Amino acid sequence: MTSRRPSPAAPETSGPLDPRAIISFHHVDLQYDDQKALSNVTFTVANGEFVCLTGPSGAGKSSILRLIAMDAFPTKGQVIVRGMPATRMNRGRVPQLRREIGYVFQDFRLLEDRSVEDNVAFAQLVVGQPHKLIVKNVMRVLTQVGLYDKRHRLPRQLSGGEQQRVAIARAMVNSPKILLADEPTGNLDPVTAQEIIDLLFRVNDAGTCVMFSTHDHEIVKTFGQRVLVVDGGTLISDERRRVPVDRSASLVDNMYRAPEGARSPGARTVRKEPVHA
Amino acid sequence: MLNRAQWSYLASESFAGFRRRKLTTGVTILIMASALLVLAVLTLVTLNLGTLLETARGGLDLRLYLRDDLSTERLAELRPRLLTIPGVDQVTWTDSEAALAEFRRQLGDDAPLLELLDRNPLPSSYHVTFTAGARNPEAVRAIREEVIRWEEVTEVLLNQEWVDALERWTFRFQMASLVVGLLVFLAAIFVISNTVKLTIASSSRIIQIQKLVGATNAFIRTPFLCEGMVQGFLAGVLAMGLLAVASRILSHNLDGLVFFSAAQSFGFVVFCVMLGLAGSWAAMRKYLTMRSDI
Ligand SMILES: Nc1ncnc2c1ncn2[C@@H]1O[C@H](COP(=O)(O)OP(=O)(O)OP(=O)(O)O)[C@@H](O)[C@H]1O
Ligand SMILES: [Mg+2]
Repeated sequence: MTSRRPSPAAPETSGPLDPRAIISFHHVDLQYDDQKALSNVTFTVANGEFVCLTGPSGAGKSSILRLIAMDAFPTKGQVIVRGMPATRMNRGRVPQLRREIGYVFQDFRLLEDRSVEDNVAFAQLVVGQPHKLIVKNVMRVLTQVGLYDKRHRLPRQLSGGEQQRVAIARAMVNSPKILLADEPTGNLDPVTAQEIIDLLFRVNDAGTCVMFSTHDHEIVKTFGQRVLVVDGGTLISDERRRVPVDRSASLVDNMYRAPEGARSPGARTVRKEPVHA
Repeated sequence: MLNRAQWSYLASESFAGFRRRKLTTGVTILIMASALLVLAVLTLVTLNLGTLLETARGGLDLRLYLRDDLSTERLAELRPRLLTIPGVDQVTWTDSEAALAEFRRQLGDDAPLLELLDRNPLPSSYHVTFTAGARNPEAVRAIREEVIRWEEVTEVLLNQEWVDALERWTFRFQMASLVVGLLVFLAAIFVISNTVKLTIASSSRIIQIQKLVGATNAFIRTPFLCEGMVQGFLAGVLAMGLLAVASRILSHNLDGLVFFSAAQSFGFVVFCVMLGLAGSWAAMRKYLTMRSDI
């Protein structure tokens, strides 16, 4: 069985100017205060792709994801996300970009003193969604991750897998174009981890570009899409697998349609930004 | 612009400190209120000293004693001359008879002693008061220098020493309270800024998550600034309230005690709110320029 909506196969020559590229790295170096994290990293990710980022600890996986969210800026080279070049980015516009990027972490990062529902609603509140739509959208994503019944619970009253599903719901509630997940399964047992990966597949099926990092060999082995391997701060392999992956067919179509009232301000501003290499 | 959900979120977050960190917030308000109380007391004392000084200056005057061998007409000519001197306000004539009568009245039971004198020993005199602009040591001294040279004048009595002393002490006090006030002012900002830093540290997770989901710095900052202002407001009201009660109690014993007017009290509270704002701004500035470390 093949994926209903296979990832587009990007041509080998795709560069930063590829119109389908939603993320492109162009000879990127990243230097922290006393530590070189990345050197000469070049790759592009097309809209709607599903990418697994792997490599040993300290390889630079988190750094790559951080660059995409513009929480770090390249020391050399260029990172372009949705047409916005990092080195020419006005820092005041970073929040706008973040609203189009969902971000999920190994440690979930939920607000411990707020209910599941409030945690998810928080992301909508920040972007200025009116109350009525917040209620609707929160209900929709919580239903999609299967936690609507537990919406009044606090994070500590949930299992690790459930907490990660809340984090994914929060990341998805603003209908981002990109979902970044930094070792989303790192704290989970293999079965729960697979459930989370399945959930990411469903997110990708709805058209969201998903990029996650992991050093779980099992997940990498069975992952049927694109795999990027980093080691010591350089990209050592970029493999496009087209292995059919057996995923549950019970997934409901249309699950991840855009939420009502979803806005994508970046989509408008992107056009104004000159795209350059 | 913010929508209703955001406004209500910001409003509830601004008071979050009062719910989640009751002790820290309470202690901060008390410390701030004490600092502000010191500030207000200093201001009040300065205000009262100023009023006192103004009254004392009103009593600043000259008495010109005149030669007793001159005709009354000759002496009467001095009045217009005195009035042309810049700074002179009023000139009152006391003739020697009136002076003696007054002296007699002051002596009371001892008045018969005066019968022993064969002539009136008291000279006629002019009493000179000054316009508001001339009620200062330099101007008065200049006027004195001028009139003492007149040949009709035998002596000029200047009742100024104690005004000088009062002036000196007021100046010293004002300088001291300026210095103390400045220190107290800085301390108050420091206290607020520290509390807000604590608040921010304990809210670092929510700030991180706000940045993660794309909140602007302004949105993140607002509740903290509001919290600082609310704290400043409560501390200011507390200090002003305590002072009002204290002055009401004291006014039974101290006549003519000046308290802040309604507008001044209001201004003081506004000042405290600004202080709270400044404190939390100082605390936020550094934090928000840091990397969000998502
Ligand atoms: N904030 C930082 N300051 C300084 N050095 C850092 C910082 N973050 C990461 N590094 C360094 O940069 C390098 C790459 O780190 P990164 O977090 O990207 O690795 P990673 O592949 O995500 O590792 P892991 O699998 O352990 O999460 C490491 O050597 C790390 O020590
Ligand atoms: Mg990492």
